[in-house]
Amino acid sequence: MSEFKSGFFVGGEACEGRVLVVDDEPDIRKVVKMTLQKAGYEVLEAENGEKAIEVINSGENRLLLDVVICDIRMPKINGAEAVAYFRSNYPRVPLIVLTGFPDTDMATSFLRQGVVDYLVKPVEGEKLRAAVARAIEQRELARL
Amino acid sequence: MEPSDQTKIAILGAGRGGRALVDLLHHVPSIKIVGIADRNPAAPGLERARELGISVTTDVPDLISNHGAGLILDVTGDPKMETYLHAHKPPAADILGGSASHLLWTLIQHESKLEAELLQSEKLAGIGSFAAGIAHDINNPLQLILGLAENLTEERDLTAVHEQAHEIIEAVKRTSAICRDLTRYSRRASPHEDILVPVNGKLDEALKIARYASSFHDIEMIKQYQPDAAVKGNPDELLHVLVNLITNAVHAMEHSGGTLTIETIVHDGQVDIRISDTGSGIAPDKIPEIFEPFFTTKAPGKGTGLGLYNVKTIVNKMHGTIAVDSRIGQGTTFTLTFPNAETAGQGSLL
Repeated sequence: MSEFKSGFFVGGEACEGRVLVVDDEPDIRKVVKMTLQKAGYEVLEAENGEKAIEVINSGENRLLLDVVICDIRMPKINGAEAVAYFRSNYPRVPLIVLTGFPDTDMATSFLRQGVVDYLVKPVEGEKLRAAVARAIEQRELARL
Repeated sequence: MEPSDQTKIAILGAGRGGRALVDLLHHVPSIKIVGIADRNPAAPGLERARELGISVTTDVPDLISNHGAGLILDVTGDPKMETYLHAHKPPAADILGGSASHLLWTLIQHESKLEAELLQSEKLAGIGSFAAGIAHDINNPLQLILGLAENLTEERDLTAVHEQAHEIIEAVKRTSAICRDLTRYSRRASPHEDILVPVNGKLDEALKIARYASSFHDIEMIKQYQPDAAVKGNPDELLHVLVNLITNAVHAMEHSGGTLTIETIVHDGQVDIRISDTGSGIAPDKIPEIFEPFFTTKAPGKGTGLGLYNVKTIVNKMHGTIAVDSRIGQGTTFTLTFPNAETAGQGSLL
């Protein structure tokens, strides 16, 4: 459970925050969504970097997106390109990389770019929820 | 090759030595094996010769006299045979026997061992580059399995429990298939296994392996398979050739994306396997070099430079040819052409 509640109201229901999951595998999106929904997050999905950019630029998401969880090895705009795009256009939205391939050089480069967490699949639900809660907390602190 | 340019060879003795000679000489276009003889009808070399469509006989006088042999290779190790040959050989024929033929046999075995080692080491070096692909393909189902299993610890709805348990089983099967495919690919090619290989199935198997070596993202794939395309050869070695060519094609489109077209064409009894990409292309002056050993365009430490060299070695062994058509910035097509598998290597029967 997150220690910090951002307390948005989406569709009239209390919401811990809005998370965008970017992964080309529908199974991964499904299971991450399942894991986060249990902790009260609203979860949006995108199947690649291009779709993720579309989602973040549509409607209210721009303002209400709390965290982006992004895979790296993806078609169209891949994870690394998507991370660069998000960092330069939406520097306030915290990014978590969730990848199937642990690579120290890549992890270092992402963390330098301001990615808040670098998680390697398979990640336990508790760790994933903690990472999301921590990312939201950092974002709130940065606003102060 | 004009038949008159061919050296016609008769082999006497079909034990291990005779078999090694058949295997090597059969692949050399300038050599024709007119027949092989042994007193023992079950000798391994005779069996191999029958597989390759080479005449087999127990009648030595007929073989050395009536089939135009210009060279008689005697690997019987029998002193009586040596005496017999010197007395009865046709005047125009040369004899290679005794310790000379034993030396030849030893060299052939050494060369065939080296060739197998080279193939295997290139394959294993290539598998190193699969790490990212394998990790991705194993860790994704593991994430699904972990997430579902965590959920099952709390799930109350029995229908959902059944569904999710079923999904876990499927994910485990997918993961174990990865290990199965890779162990099959990484094993050493079984020697002397020339059989009729259905090409379309091998291409699909090669595609599965190539996916670990390179990212197929942003690559459109077109498959045009003609049914019943089959070639004669070693299935493990053919797989190695196809993985190499598909991986190269995908690497050529790595940054730009593009279309990978894989075709099999059966015409006049021949089988063409065509692998085309719309990638970076090869400069015309480089084309003659690409089949040379240690030629590579990859960064140091990335490629072995043995990929296409081994492709050519295997295709030659299968009596096939390779044609390359490439344009800078437009792409490359590799066409492998193999003789009709039904008649490949068939000579006249005695």
